[in-house]
Amino acid sequence: MKFFERIPQITVTALIVLAIVNLLVGVILRYVVGGFTNYMDWDPVPFTWVEEIGEMSLAWLTFIGAAIGIRSRSHFTLYVITPRLSAGTRRVIEIFNHLLIAGFGLLAAYYAINLCRLNWSLATPGLQISLAVLYASAVVGGALIAIYAVSMIVAPTAQESNSGH
Amino acid sequence: MLLLTVALVFVAMILLSMPIVFSLGVAGVAGLWLGGYPMQQLSSALVSGSQSWVLLAIPAFVFAGGLMERCGMSHALVEFARALVGWVKGGLGMSVIVVAYFFSDICGSKMAEVSALGSSLMPPLTKAGYKKADSASMIAAGTAMGMLVPPAIFMIVISQVTNTSAVTLFLAGFVPAFVIMLCLMALVYMRARKYDWPVDAKPSLRRIGRAGLDAAVPLVVPIVILGGFFFGIITATEAGAVVAAYAFFAAKLYYKNVSWPEMGKIAYDSAILTAAVVFLLAVASIFQYLMGVQGVPKLIGEVLAPLKGHPWLFLFTTAFIAMLFGMVLEGLPAAVVLIPVVFPIAEEMGIDPIHFNIVQTAAVGIGLFLPPMGVGLLMALKFADLTVAQHFRTYVPYICALLIGLSIIICVPEISLTLPRLAGMIK
Repeated sequence: MKFFERIPQITVTALIVLAIVNLLVGVILRYVVGGFTNYMDWDPVPFTWVEEIGEMSLAWLTFIGAAIGIRSRSHFTLYVITPRLSAGTRRVIEIFNHLLIAGFGLLAAYYAINLCRLNWSLATPGLQISLAVLYASAVVGGALIAIYAVSMIVAPTAQESNSGH
Repeated sequence: MLLLTVALVFVAMILLSMPIVFSLGVAGVAGLWLGGYPMQQLSSALVSGSQSWVLLAIPAFVFAGGLMERCGMSHALVEFARALVGWVKGGLGMSVIVVAYFFSDICGSKMAEVSALGSSLMPPLTKAGYKKADSASMIAAGTAMGMLVPPAIFMIVISQVTNTSAVTLFLAGFVPAFVIMLCLMALVYMRARKYDWPVDAKPSLRRIGRAGLDAAVPLVVPIVILGGFFFGIITATEAGAVVAAYAFFAAKLYYKNVSWPEMGKIAYDSAILTAAVVFLLAVASIFQYLMGVQGVPKLIGEVLAPLKGHPWLFLFTTAFIAMLFGMVLEGLPAAVVLIPVVFPIAEEMGIDPIHFNIVQTAAVGIGLFLPPMGVGLLMALKFADLTVAQHFRTYVPYICALLIGLSIIICVPEISLTLPRLAGMIK
């Protein structure tokens, strides 16, 4: 179980590193290499793919991270009424909430599968990879959201008094 | 009717302590379903909302901020500000405000900033004889002001939802933040005289020099951002990448106090925070779709029609609402729920989009630190070990100073617009 929890965690860490390094490569290509090829009057090195990698990694990072956030309770939540209720009632409300979250995740995943099918044959201009790779982020993310929400029903993590960014 | 139901579902879910982003999501799904709109819209809005070049600045700035804080850059800034103004009457208090200004420059997240400033400033302030309620007020008010100092995540988000340039907004923020800073420093000076606050011993030139040298490493960042934006050399996203790389090399080659596992932990935490922010934007885009097809902006436009001839009244009203939203809902949810609705009206009234965004950013920033439930204030009070009620009386003058600053920004658009104009970004 612990092992499976590590996979999404390592994935998002890798994705944020990829996103930032990719941005840097973009800056270097645009200012250093671009300046050089311009000076030498050579053909410019294309960098549309930088944008594609960046946006794809952000989409994947967002959906997987949002799912992990359910268990680590990093999504901002208001605690106005619930702290005054009994522990039993609170637990019932929590289960109800997480069932809804799971449903939301499944819906998002289901319709994203459709989008994957529709966009299967379309490719990005720079990297020439299928747009389905982009929409698959919502499929995997939606499914993970459902899995993490169910895990919170089975084995909830401790509740903080307040979280936020 | 449909929107009323959606709003009710949203509020009910929030009251049941459902995370705000999922309250939005469930209410959005309910809206799509009740209105008979294609459910496909859910997934496509999620993907298109999370896939954006500008938003890539968020992970870069969050990571850079986390890393620079971990290196101890906030301590260097505190030391420098103290050496510079600590020996003036109320100087230590003023240095808190100055530090908040510069620290906001390296740290995009308000909550991270409050905890960094709270933990590094509260002990020296208490030791110097400042009352806890005053120290907490200065940290809270200073951080609220810092909302306007780039690279605040909030500014990236608000420029995204209003479809304006993040760079222009960043550039516009420096001067209004400075105006609020002056208001706060004036207040600190008056209080210092009235209550005879203690002063530091006059520092030797050597100490100022040393502190300045230590602070030079973090101070490069605002210079890069300000200069890069002013001359239009870099975009917000590129600035994020440059600052992240700078933080990385500073940590590894200069400070040498961050191990690889710690680096990984900071990257992971930044990833989760980024995901929470971008996911919120993505989910909110379902709402923007619903409001669009239901013609909400037009509806609100009609309701607010009497205000049309008085732009400043409109700005005061929306700023007031934004403040309440910021207090109750935390900054970013406030931005994604409220701003898209009122922004088109402001545009129609001829209010400059950048001025409007600056006012809303400042208002939400103040809202985060308003009693009784602004999350930023609660966090600051945690470090002072005070309750909202114990703190309230001392805090009132600080809130007034913030509000005076906000009013000046509302009434004098030039404060927000001059710097971007000089840079040739707007007319």
